[in-house]
Amino acid sequence: MKYLLALPAVLFGFLNLFAKKVTDGPTEQNNPGWKLFGKIPPREGPLKDPKKIQKEYETKSGKAGPGNPTSPRQGVRKNLDFEPLSTTALILEDRPANLPAKPAEEAQKHRQQYEEMVAQAKKRELKEAQKRKKQLEDRCKLEESIGTAAQIWNQEILPNWSTLCTSRRVRDLWWQGIPPSVRGKVWSLAVGNELNITHELYNICLARAKEKWRSTAVPTTDTEGRDVLDSSDRESSLELIKLDISRTFPQLCIFQQGGPYYDVLHSILGAYTCYRPDVGYVQGMSFIAAVLILNLDTADAFIAFANLLNKPCQMAFFRVDHSLMLTYFAAFEVFFEENLPKLFAHFKKNSLTPDIYLIDWIFTLYSKSLPLDLACRVWDVFCRDGEEFLFRTALGVLRLYQDVLTSMDFIHMAQFLTRLPDLIPPEQLFQHIAAVHMTSRNRKWAQVLLLRRGCPSCRRSDPKPASTRRVCRSGSSGR
Amino acid sequence: MGSDDSYNFVFKVVLIGESGVGKSNLLSRFTKNEFLHDSRTTIGVEFSTRTVQLDNFTIKAQIWDTAGLERYRAITSAYYRGAVGALLVYDISKHLTYESAERWLKELYDHADPHMVVMLVGNKKDLENLRTVPTEEAKDFADKKGLMFMETSALDSTNVEAAFNEVLTAIHKKVASREVTRGSISAVTLSSPLGLTREAQEERKGCCKSS
Repeated sequence: MKYLLALPAVLFGFLNLFAKKVTDGPTEQNNPGWKLFGKIPPREGPLKDPKKIQKEYETKSGKAGPGNPTSPRQGVRKNLDFEPLSTTALILEDRPANLPAKPAEEAQKHRQQYEEMVAQAKKRELKEAQKRKKQLEDRCKLEESIGTAAQIWNQEILPNWSTLCTSRRVRDLWWQGIPPSVRGKVWSLAVGNELNITHELYNICLARAKEKWRSTAVPTTDTEGRDVLDSSDRESSLELIKLDISRTFPQLCIFQQGGPYYDVLHSILGAYTCYRPDVGYVQGMSFIAAVLILNLDTADAFIAFANLLNKPCQMAFFRVDHSLMLTYFAAFEVFFEENLPKLFAHFKKNSLTPDIYLIDWIFTLYSKSLPLDLACRVWDVFCRDGEEFLFRTALGVLRLYQDVLTSMDFIHMAQFLTRLPDLIPPEQLFQHIAAVHMTSRNRKWAQVLLLRRGCPSCRRSDPKPASTRRVCRSGSSGR
Repeated sequence: MGSDDSYNFVFKVVLIGESGVGKSNLLSRFTKNEFLHDSRTTIGVEFSTRTVQLDNFTIKAQIWDTAGLERYRAITSAYYRGAVGALLVYDISKHLTYESAERWLKELYDHADPHMVVMLVGNKKDLENLRTVPTEEAKDFADKKGLMFMETSALDSTNVEAAFNEVLTAIHKKVASREVTRGSISAVTLSSPLGLTREAQEERKGCCKSS
């Protein structure tokens, strides 16, 4: 006898034979040994429909399978309890007529083995079906809770924003994630409009940008190259923005040329370069603008964008104020050591400095490095708690992957952190973020930052004279 | 981690050049044989490795793919430290990206080992009908500056393998000519033939902190 298991490519010779015979009809049952219907490459010729196989299996095993065997396919589909997959529908058959029949004892043994195998497969599939069912239920529950939350936000919280936004209950709800339907509104309210930007101002900036683009449609030939002022102008050029737009969430296919949001993203970034020519366009901005566009109308997205970038941390990064960025990294390391001393030591030992992973995370507010829905949840709480939460999230990520990271060397860690796994469990990440304490020796983030900022000698005390020299140079030129 | 790789040398190689010239795609073509038409903007630095075999030595190329944005240079130039090789990439269809090569080179020599191996790489060779940088012009420039030179296409794979391999071979030659201790050295610098491992790590430490 033969066990033919899970090697469809090797088996197709046999299978072809079976296929021919089987399609003749269920009456012809003198096929050889075991038979396995696996995933067969389509070019191997027409094979049986899995439904048919299942039916055959049911009739053979003498049992009425799931539901009513004669019921239409809907009946089978609906039943989540047991739906054999084509790869596990195993059929026991007698030896072909041209071979001597099996001794009764052997046949009995094979039947027993066969039944065990089927029973096991059934058990496994039952488990999987239950898992699927659970996932479905969870999803329904989640959707329901999002619906309820949206109602609460819309009917209770938003109308009374100024009084409720700091309440315990709202803060808790906030942490759980803002329902997508009210997300934009809440972000707008939380970010605020300190800059007093109006829709009119946006339109003026946009018009100016369009004019500028028209006049520089001819490639810039006046580049002196070395001039810093000139370079910022060059960076704000249509060319660079255009280049980056096509590289912003390429997988979503909505910001690329011809996509529905191409012009919107273009407009917001262009308008910003006219609103803040001193900052101009810097890579990373396109991701932030894109996330806002996904949640807000164009002009409101622009208002939120400009106000967000105006926050101290974002200004430091987007102006590439190197010394201030180093201050942020240094403050981050204080909390890193406090929260994850072992991992911190491991990073130190491997000379893995925070800039390597933080730059991407902070510049894009995690929208490039985390899955989009998860990034939006980080944004939710970032809007609530401010810059501190960006660094807390970083520590949450490090905490979540602490064990993996501890077993890695420099290059593997650097690779891992600059390209995080595609699937990050949101709840788990938020649990880890929640477990991060943002106090160090009774000092809060802002105090630690101020302390680091206040004493430039902190940085100079580090045994790296050459780099410090460089830092000072770039720090002064950035102003 | 780390147990899977056994190698004789680690060569740190940096990819530099203007934004959008195809640095990330050159790298993904070399390390994963992948090309993405719309790859994501690189912000800061990304990493990839590939292990190659050169005359009985196993060499692990540790490639640092840096962001091309001018404004980021203050950050990215710190990553040049400790590199023993560099690919200075421009786009053959965009003359401006070629014109800035000299500036990139200066930046590189300001922050990196002067003995490092540098190759000028004209990428997007597949865009022959849009070419604005003549091969001869770039070649002359490379000769004058003592750089290696090659034109590549990450899109159709032309010369990608060859470019990286030539750079790695040249580095290896330099290292070998200095009679480096043969064995399991984990990182290499060109200027300091003695106490390599420690030196290399010192170098790296310095560079990372400064950024």
